[in-house]
Amino acid sequence: MGENVVGRSVRRPDLVEKVTGAAQYCVDVTMPGMAHAKVVRSDRAHARITGIDVAEALAGPGVVAVVTADDIASLHARFGHIIADHWILATGKVRYYGEPVAVVVAETVAAAADAVELVRVSYEDLPAVMDVDAALADGAPLVHEQSYEATGDESFKNLSHVDEETAEPALTNLAHEVTLGWGDVDAAFAESAAVVENTVHFPMLYAYAMEPYNAVASYHEGALSVVSTAQHPYMVRDDLARVFGLPLARVRVTSPYLGGGYGSKSYTKVEPLASVASWVTGRPVKLTLSVEEAIYTTRVDSARIHVKSGFAADGTILARDFDIVMDSGAYADNSPLVMAKAVNRCFGPYRVPNLRVRGRSVYTNTAPASSYRGFGAPQGNLAGETNLDRAAERLGISGADIRRRNLVRKGEEILPGKRGIDADIPADLEMVVESLERDRKDVPYYGIGFGCSASDAGAYPISTAQVRIQIDGSVLVLSGSTEMGQGSRSLLAQVAAEELGVDLSVVTVVQSDTSVTPYERTTGASRTTTLVGLALQRACADARARLRDMAAELFECAPGEVRDLPGAVAGPDGRELSFGAVVRQWFGGSAGEVTGVGLLRRDGATQKMPPFWEVGMVGVAVEIDPETGVVAVDQLVTVADVGFAINPRAVEGQDLGAATQGLGGALYEELVYDGAQLANANVVDYRVPRMKDLPRKIDLMIAERRDGVGPYGAKGAGEGTLNPIGGAVAAAVARAVGRWPDRLPLTPERVWRLMSSD
Amino acid sequence: MTLPPFALLRPTTLDDALRELSEDSVPYCGGTELLLAMRAGLHRPAALVDLKRIRELSGVRVEDGVLVIGATERHADLAAHPVVRERLPVFARMEKHIGNARVRTQGSIGGNLCFAEPKSDVATVLMALEASVTLAGPGGRRTVPVEEFVAGPYYAEKEPDELLVDVRVPLRDGLRGAYVKFQTMERPTVGVAVLADDAAGWYRLGVGAVGEVPLAWSFGSLGEIDADEVAGWVDPTPDLSGSEEYKRHVTAVYVRRALARLEQVSA
Repeated sequence: MGENVVGRSVRRPDLVEKVTGAAQYCVDVTMPGMAHAKVVRSDRAHARITGIDVAEALAGPGVVAVVTADDIASLHARFGHIIADHWILATGKVRYYGEPVAVVVAETVAAAADAVELVRVSYEDLPAVMDVDAALADGAPLVHEQSYEATGDESFKNLSHVDEETAEPALTNLAHEVTLGWGDVDAAFAESAAVVENTVHFPMLYAYAMEPYNAVASYHEGALSVVSTAQHPYMVRDDLARVFGLPLARVRVTSPYLGGGYGSKSYTKVEPLASVASWVTGRPVKLTLSVEEAIYTTRVDSARIHVKSGFAADGTILARDFDIVMDSGAYADNSPLVMAKAVNRCFGPYRVPNLRVRGRSVYTNTAPASSYRGFGAPQGNLAGETNLDRAAERLGISGADIRRRNLVRKGEEILPGKRGIDADIPADLEMVVESLERDRKDVPYYGIGFGCSASDAGAYPISTAQVRIQIDGSVLVLSGSTEMGQGSRSLLAQVAAEELGVDLSVVTVVQSDTSVTPYERTTGASRTTTLVGLALQRACADARARLRDMAAELFECAPGEVRDLPGAVAGPDGRELSFGAVVRQWFGGSAGEVTGVGLLRRDGATQKMPPFWEVGMVGVAVEIDPETGVVAVDQLVTVADVGFAINPRAVEGQDLGAATQGLGGALYEELVYDGAQLANANVVDYRVPRMKDLPRKIDLMIAERRDGVGPYGAKGAGEGTLNPIGGAVAAAVARAVGRWPDRLPLTPERVWRLMSSD
Repeated sequence: MTLPPFALLRPTTLDDALRELSEDSVPYCGGTELLLAMRAGLHRPAALVDLKRIRELSGVRVEDGVLVIGATERHADLAAHPVVRERLPVFARMEKHIGNARVRTQGSIGGNLCFAEPKSDVATVLMALEASVTLAGPGGRRTVPVEEFVAGPYYAEKEPDELLVDVRVPLRDGLRGAYVKFQTMERPTVGVAVLADDAAGWYRLGVGAVGEVPLAWSFGSLGEIDADEVAGWVDPTPDLSGSEEYKRHVTAVYVRRALARLEQVSA
């Protein structure tokens, strides 16, 4: 359609500084007079705190203060954007090993670390619930004795199916329950030619962003300034304002480059700890977690999912029934939304005439779980897709054919009343199958698997953007969306350059400072390209309108007579003025600037929820060493159904990253609790994918059909490709060894046992 | 964790170094194990005695049919050393693939043996080679076979006031050797070394990483090595890389693979 800047794989402006180490991350940020904090953490799973003796620690060299729950009792010392159950510092009792009990503030990191050892916390042990079965048992010890008010997060209310007014008050370890369904599932099962049921277990994972959580905070004269590793600085600002009772305008949260997020840095993490430490001491306080501490701060919900589906003899789905139980750990954080999404996403982009889904998010005495790339989709999809592949085997049809029979076509709804599917998923499936079959190897212990998912993506459509046209024609783009490696800084510059007709080299993007950049709800759910892109297009149009008005004054003509040119305007007499000239001449003093504002809400093209569907379409081929059970990935095939790729190389990077992260959870990664604590809370024993694990063949395809609501027909990418990887790997392994696995990751020993079992 | 404070001593002679050693003043070379232990708070010595400036502890030479490797020689240097590659290629290849790039370029052979990490490749191959170490202490020098020196997990038969000076490997003309390892995590699950001196009728098998210490055995012929029987001799440590049963199973698999690899190695 004649675009010049978008649709090209431009080099990211942040590339060189990141590769050379010059880029500034939060950990590099200092504040004048800054002290350092270290956290005293619980060394047991569940215990009443009977006393905290800080005297010896306070006497330590260089120690400024030891902050405990008592010191912050006058604050609203809890956070949580859905359920405000998360105490900043353990109050009365600890709920998991690793929970912050106190913060030591000292002149140096080493002094703080030494003093941590001197804080004497006395406990009275309580019986712990370390897994969902223990937590749901009759008479189970309660992780939370009191219920907390829901904070009524707008996105949560709109995207989940729970009615907050009728939330049941009974005190159990059930953090949250979500149900969804239609039709008569039991009657449909009774009429089915085949009913296939199975249970899958999705592992407890760690998102493993390379940069652990860290923040530096300064509370001074009724204002709080925080620099942190937050994906959603505005959401963190809201939580912090509530903690201190401050106006939103007196809380400033800035996020420099993030060293990876993957959902694990969404919502509030270490910011309250650093902030209350500053509030108590009156000095800026810097807190940097170790990897182990980061693992104990946020992990991924593990899940056990029972799925039962009824089919006609030709493979047509008649009914599906899912029961999802997630281990959400000691605090709810974003797990209720993860569950709501798992419920929406587990049954797949298929016509399901009768559906029943029940999802329960359960409190346990383990590290709190929260968002992870894919938001409940990786968990739910594993169940739904494995079940479908088992059904295909039972019915004697291929995995491709059972999907062809059931996949929704473009425009069909999979959630009643929601936006119809804005993608050609059957066409995507054919691309994956064709690529996999083309390179299928004829060797023993070789298997192919593939899977589909569609996620209600984009989150709640509230976005704002600004463009500021400078007197030399260069452009500042302001956005509250966070650059965390995904390439939004580059992408937003491309959109602005395209819309304004200026060279990419004169566009600078400034992001994620709540006192400078305009409001952005979140950076997640693959929303930036679509939603911020739209807001930015509107900001550019607004800037252009203002420039036309100003030019009309200069040309002494009607505004409607001024025409747009690339980076310039033209009057009715053919006179042309560059943007910079318009600004200079209108203000008259070689100074000034023009700001364009773009606002996006649930309206017009973004009225229907979700804003877009994010398709996940992947295939893998595996080759197994029958003697050791080691799974080698021979092929990885992905389709990015993104409508329009604004930066194709960035899309490929997102897909390869998401798929590789998915392969991690499918083959290697799992946090393992051994008693109260994790056996592998470090990056040596928590095994992530390595270069050597890369698939032999990688085919990253992009399907561009201009079918998204975003700029130029674009839709988001980033999460979708992770979602079906687990199911695809499980199916490939099953076909290679002739037996169906029921859990991930498929470690060598698990595969060996699968092969050795009767 | 940050490193706790410590004094750094840098002697240039072996005698000076020995005078500095005590329970609280420990040898330091590559630091790949020691500094991790210190960071983790497991070890807090008052002083580190840096051995890297002591010439007597470095170098590789052949002395009376014995390959003598200085204790401070780093893995990457040994993997590339012409004498090691020519006279003991199985050892050079093992050194080329141990740990990771940082361990290979920083870590020393002496430090590796003294730390006695159960999942070490080095000790397994050296035990199979019937190597020994030279220890120097206030009372003089002594020679200890590696099989005795690596006495337990994280425990080497060395007094705090002793230093490992060198590693001595008897050379054999026409020696064939193979070392294979099964590794899915950061450290090997099992490593198997098999060595053959056909002219002398000398055959050795070493199995390490799977249990608390590597083990090595002598055989009269390769045919005597029964992989399933060997799997019964090891005492696997169950951990995140596998259960006892699985580790026993892959031990047998890798003994067979080591023997198959050896068949492809010419003298």
